[in-house]
Amino acid sequence: MATSMINLVHRANLSRLLRPAVRLGQFYSTTSTPTVIDKQEKALEVIDEDGKEVIDTTTGVPDWLVKERKARIFIPARNAMQSGSFNTRNWHLEFDTAERWENPLMGWGSNADPLSNLCLTFSSKEAAVDYAEKHGWNYEIDEKTEVKMKAKSYGANFSWNKKTRVSTK
Amino acid sequence: MFCQTQHYATAPAPERIEVFVNDKSLLVDPGITVLQACAMAGVEIPRFCYHDRLSVAGNCRMCLVEVERSIKPVASCAMPVMKGMKIKTDSPMTRKAREGVMEFLLVNHPLDCPICDQGGECDLQDQSMAFGSDRSRFVDNRFSGKRAVEDKNVGPLVKTIMTRCIHCTRCIRFASEVAGVDDLGTTGRGSDMQVGTYVEKMFKSELSGNVVDLCPVGALTSKPYAFTARPWELRKTDSVDVMDAVGSNIVVNTRSGEVMRILPRMNEDINEEWISDKTRYSYDGLKRQRLTKPMVKDDKGNLTPCTWEEALVEVAQKLTQANGNEVAAVAGGFADAESLVAMKDLLNKFDSEGLYTEEGFPSDGSGTDFRSSYIMNSTIAGIEDADVLLIVGANPRYEAPLVNARIRKGWMHNDLQVGLVGTEVDLSYNYEHLGDTAATLKEIASGKHAFSKVLANAERPMILVGNTILQGHEGAAVHEVVADMSHKLKSSKKVEKDWKVLNVLHRVASQVAALDIGYKPGVNKMTEKPKLLFLLGADAGLVKREDLPKDCFVVYQGHHGDQGAHMADVILPGAAYTEKTATYVNTEGRAQQTRRAVTPPVYARDDWKIIRALSEGSKAQSLKQPLQPSILELKDFYMTDSISRASQTMAKCVNAVQTMK
Amino acid sequence: MAKPLRRLQSNGIQGGQLQSLCRALVCTRPSSTAAAPPPQTKTSFGNMKDEDRIFTNLYGRHDWKLAGALQRGDWYKTKEIILKGQDWIVKETTKSGLRGRGGAGFPTGMKWGFMNKPGDGRPKYLVVNADEGEPGTCKDREIMRHDPHKLIEGCLVAGAGMGARAAYIYIRGEFYNEASNMQLAINEAYREGLIGRNACGSGYDFDVYMHRGAGAYICGEETALIESLEGKQGKPRLKPPFPADVGVFGCPTTVANVETVAVAPTICRRGADWFASFGRPRNTGTKLFNISGHVNHPCTVEEEMSVPLKLLIEKHAGGVIGGWDNLLAVIPGGSSTPLIPKSVCEDVLMDFDALVEAQTGLGTAAVIVMNKQCDIILAIARLIEFYKHESCGQCTPCREGCSWMNTIMYRFVEGKATPDEIDMLWELSKQIEGHTICALGDGAAWPVQGLIRHFRPLLEGRMADFAAKTAGEKLHGSLELQTRVQLVQITK
Repeated sequence: MATSMINLVHRANLSRLLRPAVRLGQFYSTTSTPTVIDKQEKALEVIDEDGKEVIDTTTGVPDWLVKERKARIFIPARNAMQSGSFNTRNWHLEFDTAERWENPLMGWGSNADPLSNLCLTFSSKEAAVDYAEKHGWNYEIDEKTEVKMKAKSYGANFSWNKKTRVSTK
Repeated sequence: MFCQTQHYATAPAPERIEVFVNDKSLLVDPGITVLQACAMAGVEIPRFCYHDRLSVAGNCRMCLVEVERSIKPVASCAMPVMKGMKIKTDSPMTRKAREGVMEFLLVNHPLDCPICDQGGECDLQDQSMAFGSDRSRFVDNRFSGKRAVEDKNVGPLVKTIMTRCIHCTRCIRFASEVAGVDDLGTTGRGSDMQVGTYVEKMFKSELSGNVVDLCPVGALTSKPYAFTARPWELRKTDSVDVMDAVGSNIVVNTRSGEVMRILPRMNEDINEEWISDKTRYSYDGLKRQRLTKPMVKDDKGNLTPCTWEEALVEVAQKLTQANGNEVAAVAGGFADAESLVAMKDLLNKFDSEGLYTEEGFPSDGSGTDFRSSYIMNSTIAGIEDADVLLIVGANPRYEAPLVNARIRKGWMHNDLQVGLVGTEVDLSYNYEHLGDTAATLKEIASGKHAFSKVLANAERPMILVGNTILQGHEGAAVHEVVADMSHKLKSSKKVEKDWKVLNVLHRVASQVAALDIGYKPGVNKMTEKPKLLFLLGADAGLVKREDLPKDCFVVYQGHHGDQGAHMADVILPGAAYTEKTATYVNTEGRAQQTRRAVTPPVYARDDWKIIRALSEGSKAQSLKQPLQPSILELKDFYMTDSISRASQTMAKCVNAVQTMK
Repeated sequence: MAKPLRRLQSNGIQGGQLQSLCRALVCTRPSSTAAAPPPQTKTSFGNMKDEDRIFTNLYGRHDWKLAGALQRGDWYKTKEIILKGQDWIVKETTKSGLRGRGGAGFPTGMKWGFMNKPGDGRPKYLVVNADEGEPGTCKDREIMRHDPHKLIEGCLVAGAGMGARAAYIYIRGEFYNEASNMQLAINEAYREGLIGRNACGSGYDFDVYMHRGAGAYICGEETALIESLEGKQGKPRLKPPFPADVGVFGCPTTVANVETVAVAPTICRRGADWFASFGRPRNTGTKLFNISGHVNHPCTVEEEMSVPLKLLIEKHAGGVIGGWDNLLAVIPGGSSTPLIPKSVCEDVLMDFDALVEAQTGLGTAAVIVMNKQCDIILAIARLIEFYKHESCGQCTPCREGCSWMNTIMYRFVEGKATPDEIDMLWELSKQIEGHTICALGDGAAWPVQGLIRHFRPLLEGRMADFAAKTAGEKLHGSLELQTRVQLVQITK
């Protein structure tokens, strides 16, 4: 499937991958409920087998909020309206947009999902990955796209034999 | 002994030279500008007129920096680096120069930021904060006021407030260099200089909306977006465009469940940082004529809203009653890969292989067995490397505006030679028109045509076939000729081994994924006499009620009440591309994901979930036909699918093109 | 347009060399201007003898056509000059110490030498800048209407010196008669085989074309001129690339002033040493001076370089109206150079270096004399209005700065301002100077700077008068001031 082609989906660790729950049917399930087995298994899981700290058992975030979702780790694109690039220097971690609605009372935006309003900033990809793993989140990484620098030449505007010659001012 | 094999044109890497940016040593390639060297050192130089993808103008003077041993500051955007150059980007001289330029810019710039649509994402605002003076010395507005310039009407997309213009000429350069229309220019001189079209006319380009992004101030803003939102209150979701098969990267800007605007997102390989006007402005179509509730035909034959359960049960019943060879599905242009797979799974479960796409593709010979025969093999970015391009029966300017922009770029910077077989159209660059019909193509293939020699001499030739002409009854023949030609060229000694020649330019976003998944291209290939027909967003009007058996039960699943919905017995409201996280494969075969920016309206749901829920319950050889692409003129470009047909902005564009000459 | 002087402070870099400064920037500036000049032996200048004049038909008293030109010695042994070769012509010009007559004063020989780099197959061009638009300047038109063959011969000699394929004479659109005289002269020269294929029988092919401008001062700037010649809006280009690298039609080009080109044949004929014998070292030769303004007999005259300003005015222009003591100030080099007050005028010499020392410049040597009956603030304001009108609008400091300075200057004329705005105006002019693409911004800034430098008390006095007229209060550009201004106007 095409999804797997763009993004490598990392799993925090093997034991979770083998956990029953909704893993394989994830794609097609519409709702999910945390399973009992799930809870029992991770009751004591603070350090996983790789020696990494995992705190998702202690945060109290309900499983249905995170387990079926994927965080996205990426570098935001430069706003096309502006030339500044300062906002494109950090890695961001965000969840997808969940149900949002316009509040009938005031017309403001409402939603019931705190995670989709989350925007975490990291100085490196590794830091973001570590953070996601620590929280037991699924995540995908959008690799940084390198901008190719093309040599610019003012003289090309007046070249006699190139189509870069400027005619309109 | 070693025997070295020389690949073509491996020029020795130019010796890098050392420059100093704020006393930090840096090795750079010769020929780059001071501004670029500073960018490499991580120092951002303020600029207005300079843009990475446009030619250097050097007229805003904001990028002045001090260079040691130069008595006056230099314009870093135009000055090439020299060996041992010492650049100071934060010296008193540099700062004073910036402050001075900023003061001058603000002299005649109206202080209407609170009512300006650019407010909050304005380069002038930002840079005056960062580099400008903290107070104004301009008291002359008490005596003489600021300059006021008449606004221009350049069409329904770009709003102009010319008083705000700072004459950076980015829009002019974009129009003449990237869009290829010399519609914009300056008139007058000195403080009377104006940017405009000289006579009132529409800025007639399929890429016109990009000048809104380029404009560093609020002189050019988006007309449909005017006064609707502020940038800081918008939620930005990275996504992918589906209005054509290019898959331009976009950012969907939303506010409380409503798409407010769509902006381009930079992707060097696909759209650089441009998007077409249809991509940018047809979003208002997402709010109109939507299918929001499931509907079932009642006894009187009227479609009436019902619950999801009723609708699904109705369809599931039909599904279980029908035989495998009586069930078929037709996928339209907006179908995402996930729902295509789900639909395939569903039909396969009922022993049906009746999966078709609306878009056709020849199935003679190997048909769609090999992926390389139906995608754009040399990629969009690869156009820049090509030296000869033969376009067959396509009008890339309107079928895939960003592919056309790439071709124009190659034509302009790399002397790409372009030939066209098919209807003669304005492609915004010069090309050689070789002929109208495939007979010319055959001539070229046989080596009798003058262009055969050009192709044969090319080191990196490309043949680009429009999918429009591959659908007709001559499509198979054209494809065969083109494929043969490509094969021959590819095997020629001049051409590099991994260079690909054959390229197919698709028109709709779903097609490549559908063919990848195994859908049969074209409804004309349907062998079943369906009793149950699924239309997965099939809105092109190719499936007609009169062609179907009388007792055929038509299920339409999609997001717009367009042509497909009109003939349906059951309507299942789906999600549009801004409302679902879904995969689309573009004409290059590049899989990309849209991301959900807003939730589907009312009862509409993700397409794959609907199908998933359902499954829980259940050859011509004449060569005289002109190879005419589907879109020849700008007026036909704006409305090509259910979203853009629903868009009022696009309707205005069509109207404007017809009325504003 | 004259190329105004680049920098007024004498800090080791010679004034008025646009290119030399730009080249200093790219570290390729040749050292000749920095080389020690020959010692000065001559002590008095001016009172040039008639036999030393180059432009012998300056006043149009003789035939301007070919027959007359031949009588005056034009086209004499031109073939021999060409046959002496490129290097000889450039060397002779260098030796003569000729500096560009268009205003910037760049050493001509060196400039022509830039063209003799190994070529890459592109043709080279000589472009003659005949877009004489600098207020006060009227030297080139005299050459073109009364001595066109000097210019045509100059084109050939200069063209041969730089190996140019053709010369384009870009003439100001308003110079209709001059253009038609030039064209007739060119036709004559073609007919006689003096130019064209095998020019003068030297085996050298050289064409001369006329191109009439459309009335923009900025087209006198060399790169704007090139743009205009190419058929585009006359908006200056940035440098680098210099015209010697990428010029007209993308080919190596030298843009030279009419006078510079026109004196070249005479230099080659009479010898560099003869030419160098006039004027002070580094400021050699003869020069056309234009004297206008409040003088009894405004005129154009050929004089020795380094001639004292007082001598020039008294001898050739019949003195200042109302006598020398009635002199207020002089703009010595066309409108874009800063003015100098009478005290400086007493003993200043008219050459590049002396005027730079006086914080002004030789420019086009168009002396504008202003006597005490003249409102000098209004005069300068009018000049700024000219620059505001002629700014091309391409780059920010000049486009916005000139119009802003213009409004401020006209307020100063009335005195409708406060003394601290004088400092602001000074700063504004400094923000324009050196920050623009071409030298027009500098040319607009300098007159203002000159005015403030020498006439600040006058400005302040007028402001005080205005304040007294408007109830004696000083208000900084306030609405109240504005209404008061209107009241004054009504009561008037």
